Amino acid sequence: MRSLRLVIAIASPLFCAGLGLVATTQSAIAQAQDHQYSTSEIQAGSRLYGAQCALCHGNNGDGIAGVNLARQQFRRASTDDDIKNTVTTGVAAAGMPPFRLQPAELNGLVAYIRSGFDASGAPFKVGNVARGQAIYDKDACAACHRVRGAGARTAPDLTDIGAIRQPSAIQRSLLTPTVAMLPINRPVRIVMRDGRTMRGRRLNEDTFTVQLIDENERLVSLEKSDIREFEAGTASPMPSFAGKLSGDEIADLLAYLVSLRGL
Amino acid sequence: MRHPSRFLFSLLTVLATAAPAGAQAQVSAQRIERAAAEPQNWLTNHGGYDSKRYSTLNQITPANVKDLEQKWVVQDQVFGAWESNPLVVDGIMYLTERPNDVMAVDAKTGKLFWLYRYTPSPDSRVCCGANNRGVAMLGDTLYMGTLDAHLIAIDARNGHLLWNIQVGDVKLAYSITMAPLVVKDKVIVGVGGGEFGIRGFIAAYDAKTGKEAWRFNTIPGPGEPGHETWSGNDWKNGGASVWNTGSYDPVLNLTYWGIGNPGPDWNPDQRPGDNLYSDSVVALDPDTGKLKWHFQFTPHDPYDYDSTQVAVLADMDWQGKPTKVMMWGNRNGYFYVLDRTNGKFLLGQPFVKVNWSSGLDKNGRPIQTPQPTGAPTWPGVQGGTNWYPPSYSPSTGLFYFSVWENYASVFRKEEQEYEPGRNFTGGGAPVLSPTPGAPTIGVGRRGPINNWTNAVGSGATIAVDPKTGKRAWTFPQYDVTDAGMLTTASDILFTGGREGYFYALDAKTGKELWKTNLGGSIVMAPVTYRIDGKQYVSVISGHTLVTFALRN
Repeated sequence: MRSLRLVIAIASPLFCAGLGLVATTQSAIAQAQDHQYSTSEIQAGSRLYGAQCALCHGNNGDGIAGVNLARQQFRRASTDDDIKNTVTTGVAAAGMPPFRLQPAELNGLVAYIRSGFDASGAPFKVGNVARGQAIYDKDACAACHRVRGAGARTAPDLTDIGAIRQPSAIQRSLLTPTVAMLPINRPVRIVMRDGRTMRGRRLNEDTFTVQLIDENERLVSLEKSDIREFEAGTASPMPSFAGKLSGDEIADLLAYLVSLRGL
Repeated sequence: MRHPSRFLFSLLTVLATAAPAGAQAQVSAQRIERAAAEPQNWLTNHGGYDSKRYSTLNQITPANVKDLEQKWVVQDQVFGAWESNPLVVDGIMYLTERPNDVMAVDAKTGKLFWLYRYTPSPDSRVCCGANNRGVAMLGDTLYMGTLDAHLIAIDARNGHLLWNIQVGDVKLAYSITMAPLVVKDKVIVGVGGGEFGIRGFIAAYDAKTGKEAWRFNTIPGPGEPGHETWSGNDWKNGGASVWNTGSYDPVLNLTYWGIGNPGPDWNPDQRPGDNLYSDSVVALDPDTGKLKWHFQFTPHDPYDYDSTQVAVLADMDWQGKPTKVMMWGNRNGYFYVLDRTNGKFLLGQPFVKVNWSSGLDKNGRPIQTPQPTGAPTWPGVQGGTNWYPPSYSPSTGLFYFSVWENYASVFRKEEQEYEPGRNFTGGGAPVLSPTPGAPTIGVGRRGPINNWTNAVGSGATIAVDPKTGKRAWTFPQYDVTDAGMLTTASDILFTGGREGYFYALDAKTGKELWKTNLGGSIVMAPVTYRIDGKQYVSVISGHTLVTFALRN
């Protein structure tokens, strides 16, 4: 495949008619490319969002059914300009009032939404998807990760990673994987009362049970009362790419990962 | 098999009340006052005026609790957290569901007698879900506060509307989520809306006509004592909601109400002063609405530490003297004991990690230690506990409630202008998480998969000895819990949590006696009642009310 962007360009008109969702998703990918969002923009947007939007859309952006702003799921908008239009005109049928905002305020709001609600405002830059995918293949990410059915399942599946993680968080995972690792992904080592040892990654846990995918990619549910030792390591098994890849290569790899928004 | 103790129960039923199940006598004010004498019923939201949520029923015991089986379920017809707390009166359960539906249910079979649907105005604004926490009953009439801040009276026999009056202006985001409190011939309610810049109040209405008898503003106006704790016009939009049903001491003739946060929630710079009576308990005369005393837990609150909890009343020996106390597990992380005759501070101890305050002075006033900008504050925005109803067991002498441990928020304040009916919170309060962007605890459960893990906090059911304020025991849960408590004379504590487990714990030790997985969040307190000699326990889990009793 030469360029994912080219494929999108061809696919979009074909799918537009019947599959609005696909079109929206793909435009979002196109929109996310070759953009740089600054800390000041993101943080200004964060403040504005907290004061004006959070009451209905929620602190996490998922307060309205069918809309998840932090995950770039919209009912109407797909491009940055679409988002601005929705904000300024409102959605009367859904009870959203129009907001009168300055252009800089709108830019901030868009940056905050595109950052996936990263209140810290970590800046990020997305590069070229095709070059990023080549880096993904060359660096054997698939030895642990899986994308659209290809690769291992021991580390988290990345098929929709661009939709569920903030771009800056993905960037952080590439540079400092241990710092960025979500608590649920901590590598666990379990010794059962009968002496069996297993390693894997948690999928769910409650007071009495824990569910994992083990190192052989099996789904396992355990009663905690059967467990003798339970260790959740805080060091990520993933290597850091800081120093191994250039800044531009990181931006390309990030572009590829951000483009992965599910099927 | 005829069990001797069961025979004794039926005998007690006849002796204890002139209104055995089936007779459907009127619920007089006297019956409500003596609710403890008819444990077969659950006559008020908190199980009695003292809000102990303690039942003298003891058919279900630590020895036989394993034999509980599901008797019936009622499925909720609408979605959203189900925080309602039913009443059970002479074999009939009166239950609400979102937004303002009322059901009369045969408490033995789960079958409905009638369903009343009230449609609140589309202008209704509620900060934290379209919840209704239940009804109150007097005579043959049920009373419900609505999301559009009306108070309505319903005929308990047929579910027909008797009257409907406006309590607050829905356009200014007033709402009612609590179950009303009936005292003598009056129905008393408080209003929500503290996240929208309301000025809170508690009002009493004639139970027959709905005519307003008195109104107590939870923010004193010009000329009233306490007004000096506000500056300029801040009092007009200063919040101080009332989310939960109050308690009542018939001997002292005082009602007790927990008051919510001042507004805007997170920006105290906009409202200099102590901001009375936000985050306080107020003692009101139910006949006149006159304030007898108040105690403020969190003056000038920047953390949304609503004192929305329930005042639990008990008479106990306090340092050698019989004392009428009030126990209070507060959202701010401290457990308090007050003298409820005069509001005097008797004891205050943190029950979770607290860093917003370094302690309480001799009058119970917190010594506040605000954290630097961007630094975490313990407990987090949902508090060490919240509105979840606690229980006090006179049998064990322990106070039980749900707490959130190792849970903090990073508070951010921001200037915000008041606009009528709009959000007025003045900042934000994201939950502290170990990794930026990691999933965190929300106001409600986020889904069936716990991917936030206990790294952002976890829940526990705890027992506190009110004499010392120290924990007697802790029953840890992996996820946080919003569950209320029920204790019984057989020293069982029934509770649950967000994970969907329903527990019977040994109230003395916290040891698990029995549990069952009901699969949906338990965000209310279980209730117990008795029909035809059989003790039932009902609990709401997710969208299902499940009722248990011992196997036949």
